[in-house]
Amino acid sequence: MIRQRPLVLLFKLALISTLLSAVALPEMIHSATPFWMLIFFTYWLIYAETRAVYTLSLLLGLLLDLLHGNVFGQNALALIASTVFILNVKKSFYVSNLSTQQVYVFVASLIYLLITICVHWIIQGFDFSYLTFLAPLTGSILWPIVHFLLAKLKR
Amino acid sequence: MRLLKPLLPALIAIILIVLDARFSYLDNLKRNSTALLSPIYFLVDLPGQMMNWVSDKGSDTEQLISENEQLTNELFELKAKLQIYNNLVLENQKISRLIDASYTLPANAVKLARVKSIAQSRLKRQLVINKGVNDSILASQIVLGANGVVGQIIQSTPFYATVQLTTDPTQHIPVKNVRNGARGITKGLAANKSGMKVEFMPSNADVKLGDIFVTSGIGQSYPAGYPVGEVVEVSAPHDEAFLLIKLHPLEDMNGLEFVLVVSEPL
Repeated sequence: MIRQRPLVLLFKLALISTLLSAVALPEMIHSATPFWMLIFFTYWLIYAETRAVYTLSLLLGLLLDLLHGNVFGQNALALIASTVFILNVKKSFYVSNLSTQQVYVFVASLIYLLITICVHWIIQGFDFSYLTFLAPLTGSILWPIVHFLLAKLKR
Repeated sequence: MRLLKPLLPALIAIILIVLDARFSYLDNLKRNSTALLSPIYFLVDLPGQMMNWVSDKGSDTEQLISENEQLTNELFELKAKLQIYNNLVLENQKISRLIDASYTLPANAVKLARVKSIAQSRLKRQLVINKGVNDSILASQIVLGANGVVGQIIQSTPFYATVQLTTDPTQHIPVKNVRNGARGITKGLAANKSGMKVEFMPSNADVKLGDIFVTSGIGQSYPAGYPVGEVVEVSAPHDEAFLLIKLHPLEDMNGLEFVLVVSEPL
């Protein structure tokens, strides 16, 4: 469990992930970058004990929607759905080794991706860069590094 | 009970999606909330700004003198071309008056803005510029590059504005073929990195590879006469009433550093 106050850590994580997701990258890499907010929020969900997680995921999702110019609520809905999955496997996640955690992160990212794409499809049509499908994979690959760095941050 | 907890936030998110996508009730709220994110934009763009500053300070005098000479020469050339352009505008106005035509060559005031290094949604084609409401940049204004149309302002905050590129699938621009005036409407193709297609051109329309399409000015959303793209593929699918035309944008969207925002007619 974490030593600092959960909401303080969440604020730090949200700030870092917001900054990371706003960094401009070449188009191909940008499409395949992990869902930083989801990954950082997953870490927080696993290692922090707090209430109102769904309200927090709604607020963080709305923050991302504003930052990225998405339809208001798109990332929020995706983050809530991924949170449901993460909380369901929380106990197993906490005691699992890194490879199993990577699988959980992959599934959570896939849920996130499918929901954002579904919303995008309903509103604008099925027209986007297919490299976006790589995002869950890159997220799960980078999970051990993120986990290691965040473990340093939470102390 | 466990699954009921996320139901209310999910419902709120769905309601927000519907309100934002189908109506414009949230526009003001979004604009004001986005303004609060300006510090984040500033922080993200800080390294880029520092690089520009270092690059500016690092240029030696010799290099600056050489650049100055080159720019002076280019200015002379452009002034010479402008004289021809001014003559064409006058001719166009005279002819328009004679034939009572509504079409005139565009003459608009523009504002220079720098493209910021801030990422936008991976499902959309957008970019952020360093001018906003404080510089009279407003939603629906047109953004141009050195070679052609870049897009349209979709959101403006006090310090920043978001530009939706012509290659975004939700951008539709009324265009015409420079060679013969045949009209159509472009639509961005996000799946294809930087492409567009021209819709609603009949299968018997005269379109060739290399033809240039410019804004037609129909609908008044885009001023007329600005280059949009070059034809890179034309085909007439069987049982289709319209041609399949693919355009390559004349402006390199990835290499943009500065853009011009067309603010108002002169």
